[in-house]
Amino acid sequence: MSRDPLVEVENLEKHYPITEGLLKKQVGTVRAVDGVSFDIGRGETVGLVGESGCGKSTAATSMLRLEEPTGGTVRFDGEDITEYDDAALKRFRRRAQMIFQDPSSSFDPRMSIGESVAEPLRIHGLNDRTRRRAVVEDLLERVGLSASDADRYPHEFSGGQKQRVAVARALSVNPDFILADEPVSALDVSIQADVLSLLDDVQSEFGLSFLLISHDMGVVRQVCDRVNVMYLGEIVESGPTEEVFGNPQHPYTKALLSSIPRPDPRKRGRGIELTGDVPDPSNPPDGCRFHTRCPAVIPPEGLAVAQETWRSLLDLRSRAARGDLDPGALADAADEPSPTPALVREAFDLPDPLPDGEAEATLAAALETAADGDVAAAGERLVEAFPTPCARQAPERRRVSPDHEATCHLHDPDLAPDHGDAYGIGVAEND
Amino acid sequence: MATDSRPDTFDSVDWDRVEADTGGVPVVAVVEALTFLAFGAALAYDYLIVPEGEPTVLDWDVTAVEWLFVAVLLLGLFHVVVPLARSRRMTAYYWRQFRKNRLAVASLGYLGVLLVIGVLGPAIWAAPNETISYAEAYAPPIFIGGDLASLDHALGTDAQGRHLWHLIVYGIRVSFEVGLIAMTLAITIGTIVGAVAAYFGGYVDEVLMRYVDIQQTFPVFILLLLLIYLYGASLFLIILLYGVFGWEGTARLVRSEALQRTEEAYSRAAEAAGASKLWVVRRHIIPNVSSTVITAATLSIPVFILGEAALSFLGFGDPGTFSWGRTINAGRSDIDSAWWISTIPGLFLFLTVLAFNFVGDALRDAIDPRSDSG
Repeated sequence: MSRDPLVEVENLEKHYPITEGLLKKQVGTVRAVDGVSFDIGRGETVGLVGESGCGKSTAATSMLRLEEPTGGTVRFDGEDITEYDDAALKRFRRRAQMIFQDPSSSFDPRMSIGESVAEPLRIHGLNDRTRRRAVVEDLLERVGLSASDADRYPHEFSGGQKQRVAVARALSVNPDFILADEPVSALDVSIQADVLSLLDDVQSEFGLSFLLISHDMGVVRQVCDRVNVMYLGEIVESGPTEEVFGNPQHPYTKALLSSIPRPDPRKRGRGIELTGDVPDPSNPPDGCRFHTRCPAVIPPEGLAVAQETWRSLLDLRSRAARGDLDPGALADAADEPSPTPALVREAFDLPDPLPDGEAEATLAAALETAADGDVAAAGERLVEAFPTPCARQAPERRRVSPDHEATCHLHDPDLAPDHGDAYGIGVAEND
Repeated sequence: MATDSRPDTFDSVDWDRVEADTGGVPVVAVVEALTFLAFGAALAYDYLIVPEGEPTVLDWDVTAVEWLFVAVLLLGLFHVVVPLARSRRMTAYYWRQFRKNRLAVASLGYLGVLLVIGVLGPAIWAAPNETISYAEAYAPPIFIGGDLASLDHALGTDAQGRHLWHLIVYGIRVSFEVGLIAMTLAITIGTIVGAVAAYFGGYVDEVLMRYVDIQQTFPVFILLLLLIYLYGASLFLIILLYGVFGWEGTARLVRSEALQRTEEAYSRAAEAAGASKLWVVRRHIIPNVSSTVITAATLSIPVFILGEAALSFLGFGDPGTFSWGRTINAGRSDIDSAWWISTIPGLFLFLTVLAFNFVGDALRDAIDPRSDSG
């Protein structure tokens, strides 16, 4: 790429150890951020979206070194900030500012708004009170408050006003880059738009680079030039906002997009529903991390069932393989004396029989085994009979158009020559 | 900046030049340092140059407790009065909150008057022992009337004819010395231990907090009796022991508050803006913990005052001071014939303890951030 990005994040990792006992023996790792890479150009607004718990806030705090990243590099203006010592880090923090989610707790209740806005100035050594006051009054007016508000205290302001003050505070040291972590999600919808347009104005007036972190696709669409979609510690799709919104190339992005409420009732479809929660980041699924919830998982060759049935079959398969299936409990819930295959079939919404004869035979046998109490054996049989590349190997990042990348097996011509067509996802070249 | 008459805006600040600017020391800090330097010099003069047993200035022989009391009052001036006067808006806001409690305002007024009398009174009214006059013993207060009642000793006299008012004035001095000095000691130690435990965490935290547990179970009263037996009773010793063994509660409070404050978004915001850990502790954690500390401090004063009065009542007090506890005890045997000797100092003690409690409660309501929702 010919662009000269201001921030380059490469393979950023933040793993938290899980320790146990007195000796703090490490028994596991939470992979909150697991190899994330993206760039932010000068004067560009980049979005980072994903469900809560996907690691986007951790990515933000570790890229500013508020928490030490456990791997990867972050280059700011060409320099690797992960190598910085304290003095250099302080200089970097003047150039990169942050806006926090909760405006009510991000201001010290004992400091007037003026003192809070001036705090970064003081930290960076501007000791002249009158100069600080002049900067603060000018800033407050720029963000739509009045200069006299400097003497008021945080509790005298509304959430939206406080978030404006937060913008003023972030601007106070004239940074090049502002990271906004869910800047509007704590605000009323009517106020969100005001604050977003303030961010937009500030960004274009001063040519700042912005990283906007949000779970709300609507917010991202309104202000971002480019979007990175994050799932379980990884980026699954990135590209220019119009392309990602107009032609999403990852089933997860599609699901997120269908969650934006539409004002037109005729266009309101059923949308794509994601079942289940985000999996535990201390034990991410093998293969593609999204395969446990993906509506477009690639089926085994020759399996002649509908995609929804295949999805249900896969749910059954992974639950059984994890040992997380209890036919006895299903029987109790249905007031049956003993577990039967039909109950399990019903619980997973599987038709009886499956249209595919061979698959039906395997499924019936596995359900029989499970009903007899041997869930593990049933799981093994299902895994063997219904293989999918999505659970077996991690997808590679592929380029779907010059500036648009996605990480999904549907783009792999060897694995899914035409399966993705039904989802508007075509095969792509390897990156 | 002198070169440019336009007011500064955030994008006109030249950061390369600012970073070279080291800044100066605030004026108040200089004045405070000079004051304490003068205090140290006076202390050295009293202990090194003035001969033992001679008065320090005029006829006033400043005792160790009085030196400490002066130091505490100076500390209060620089760290309570000056900050309150400097941030008027904040002060006005808290005063509006505090004023809602009428009883506390009255209590504050009462304590203020008492403090002035306690500090200046001994210079106006003679020491009780100089008023001994057996001819005037057991004189009732003037509002009771009687042959001996006189305006000269309006509150009556005790068994030796000492004026009760003089006993009370000197008792105020003792009570305030005990309350304020012991409180300052306890709060200082407690805040440092609590903040250090919260800030360093890990083993430091573990060791300090387990020590606090041990100290809390330690019978201070028995140690006090032992020390009084060994060295004789002195007010200095009593104050020191109360201060040094009375900080566990504060340490716990400060630690838990400080732990909470470090997690607050404003602490993170300061860190993200480039602040050092020390900056965050000084500018955000301590000021936000201070409301809890101030309340705890105010409420600990009456406990110390009552403790000293109880010791004196039991006869373990400093025989050289005129503690209210001692006066109450002395009047105990004459309670049926001269009830005022015990009752009037008792009333003062009661009102003073009550007033400190009212003020402490009102302060908590006024400044505790948990009670004002943002």
